[in-house]
Amino acid sequence: MFTLFFVDLGRKVLSLMHFVGGLTNLAVQTVYLTFKPPYKTERIIEQAKKAGYDSFPIVSLVALFIGFIFALQTAYFMQRIGSELYIASMVALSIVRELGPVITALIVAGRVGASNTAELGSMQVTEQIDALETLAANPVKYLVVPRFVALGAMLPVLTLYANIIGILGSYFICTIKLGITSSMYMHVTFSSLLYKDLFTGLFKSWIFGMLIALISCYEGFNVEGGAAGVGRATTRSVVFTFIMIIAADCFFTALFYFIFP
Amino acid sequence: MIEIHNLHKKFNNSPVLKGLSLNIDRGQTCVIIGRSGCGKSVLLKHIVGLLRPEQGKVMVDGKEVAALDELELDALRSKISMVFQGGALFDSMNVTENVGFSLIEHTRIGRQELLERVEEALGLVGLGGIGSLMPSELSGGMKKRVALARAICIRPEIILYDEPTTGIDPIAADSINGLIRSLHDKLKVTSIVVTHDMKSAYHIADKIAMMYKGRIIMEGAPREFRESKDPVVHQFIHGIAKGPITEAVDNFK
Amino acid sequence: MIFGKTKLEMKVGVFVFIGLVVLVIFILSIGGFKTWSSGYHVKMTFNFVNGIKVGAPVRFAGVDVGEVQKIRLDFFPEESRSNVNLDIWVRNTVKIPSDSSVWVNTLGLLGEKYIEIMPGSDYSRVLTEGECLVGVDPLPVHKIFNNAENLLNNLNDGISRIKNKEGTLGKLIYDDTLYDELQALVTDVRKNPWKLFIRTKERK
Repeated sequence: MFTLFFVDLGRKVLSLMHFVGGLTNLAVQTVYLTFKPPYKTERIIEQAKKAGYDSFPIVSLVALFIGFIFALQTAYFMQRIGSELYIASMVALSIVRELGPVITALIVAGRVGASNTAELGSMQVTEQIDALETLAANPVKYLVVPRFVALGAMLPVLTLYANIIGILGSYFICTIKLGITSSMYMHVTFSSLLYKDLFTGLFKSWIFGMLIALISCYEGFNVEGGAAGVGRATTRSVVFTFIMIIAADCFFTALFYFIFP
Repeated sequence: MIEIHNLHKKFNNSPVLKGLSLNIDRGQTCVIIGRSGCGKSVLLKHIVGLLRPEQGKVMVDGKEVAALDELELDALRSKISMVFQGGALFDSMNVTENVGFSLIEHTRIGRQELLERVEEALGLVGLGGIGSLMPSELSGGMKKRVALARAICIRPEIILYDEPTTGIDPIAADSINGLIRSLHDKLKVTSIVVTHDMKSAYHIADKIAMMYKGRIIMEGAPREFRESKDPVVHQFIHGIAKGPITEAVDNFK
Repeated sequence: MIFGKTKLEMKVGVFVFIGLVVLVIFILSIGGFKTWSSGYHVKMTFNFVNGIKVGAPVRFAGVDVGEVQKIRLDFFPEESRSNVNLDIWVRNTVKIPSDSSVWVNTLGLLGEKYIEIMPGSDYSRVLTEGECLVGVDPLPVHKIFNNAENLLNNLNDGISRIKNKEGTLGKLIYDDTLYDELQALVTDVRKNPWKLFIRTKERK
């Protein structure tokens, strides 16, 4: 019983190392092939449409609700200490620095990352990836690079939308329910924001986008065992992406906290 | 043209190929027969460089496949086509894009010429005029023939077929056999066909090789196989349930 | 995807374009259009600036007209003192008379610091690019406390003397003599109102 536990633990650690190594390998190849011509512009645009344009409705809906919730939640405390005016700056900072990038990344990971894994996984199962290789098309160049570039480019754009819509959501609550005037709200919002708040948020979402693309494609390539394997890989992909996004967010938030005080 | 020396390959510590050797001359059609799961597809994947051998080597045109760099491998792959078992058509593209894939990716030919080449290849497999369909709209047999069209569209010197006639109706199977035959006769294409369909094997083969337990146990002309007294070969080509192959599996268990 | 893809490109194009517009809106709103309007730089020297930061607002007659862009600390070994030199950006439309007084002030609840300029009256000489104005030093907090303490000490002293029935106020509050006298006078006048109209004989 006890030894079994350690054997299991050892196997987990080994598979984790395997995962980290494979992911790094894929990342290096992807970055190298991204800059190596020829560039697959049509494939990138196709993926950009899937990742960006198609994710816009759900991202904006969630961002709007986050704005509502955050305004009400902040108001609950701010009314106690009698400074409702600072709701605007609190909401703006939280959304632009943290909530916007992270929520957007989580939605896109669930939506686009899962579909990437499932698509590449079934291609692997039906030998389409081998077929690509025999047709002298590098699967990483052909499948991973467009997703990598498209997600890396689209996630910051989606985050910008999420930011403005989240702030708008909180604006509605504050002006309609809490009686803060519209111009006052906007003034407080934008006077509390700094360039570094906006750009560290966007930088993080760029990193998240590349993480989502790499992990989902890695899991897709490593599918074994038919349709059930595709299902397992999709679950693993979403779980790993979520963990990595939160971990990377923690890392970069700490890093920016210390290097841009 | 293709020389395989002492090839070894393991998957998850269970050996699949155990010192396999085989030579195929230019312009020859070699049929490899053997039971399902004995490593025939694995052998084909070594020839196009999808898998790397643990020991031994695969030489194509006098060059070792595993030692080629990226560019040389791409050059090799523009001469070799492989027809996969399930077709392996790209689901996200229509038939024309699938068949013309290599031309679109690696050449700069015009749209008109591209469409002509694709239509020609589809015509050869008897499927003219379906260019705008998606793979999901095709039957299993049609998928296989489209995959064959994709393989011949680049006008290769070597074609590897992974079970081209399994799972399709006898008439379509015969037309595929006829096609393999005519490619061999007219274009002098070197072919390796993996199958366990003996009728098709006798029809197309210049040479048959039987694979058993990770090795080639017999190679020769179709006539030699028909007259073979070897119990293993005899059991396989006549499709008998009781015999040395199945006994070995039982003992193994 | 190889044939006919114009619609796809359009969708992605519109999506990214609007995204860029949102980015520009963010950048302009955060920057408050400052980078777009033209202005000039003046210098201000202080001995003490009470923790002012780069980007702190500058107010002229109570209106935001610019910001602090650079803070430099100069040391003069021959005079053995340090000097704070602020580089300040002011909008072009603002004219600052050179007899204006400048000091560091505190804004609102969070204690944000800003530069307050009280306009002078001599508009014949206004500051131009690169000219210098000497600031009035804000009182450091410990000085304010010192002054307050002195004030309190003096007050305490006064009050304790009053309590001790010393001095005019002390006597007025604690001594009943004046009250009694007044009481007697009022009673006397009520009884004999005519006394008010009587001239005393002393005048004679």
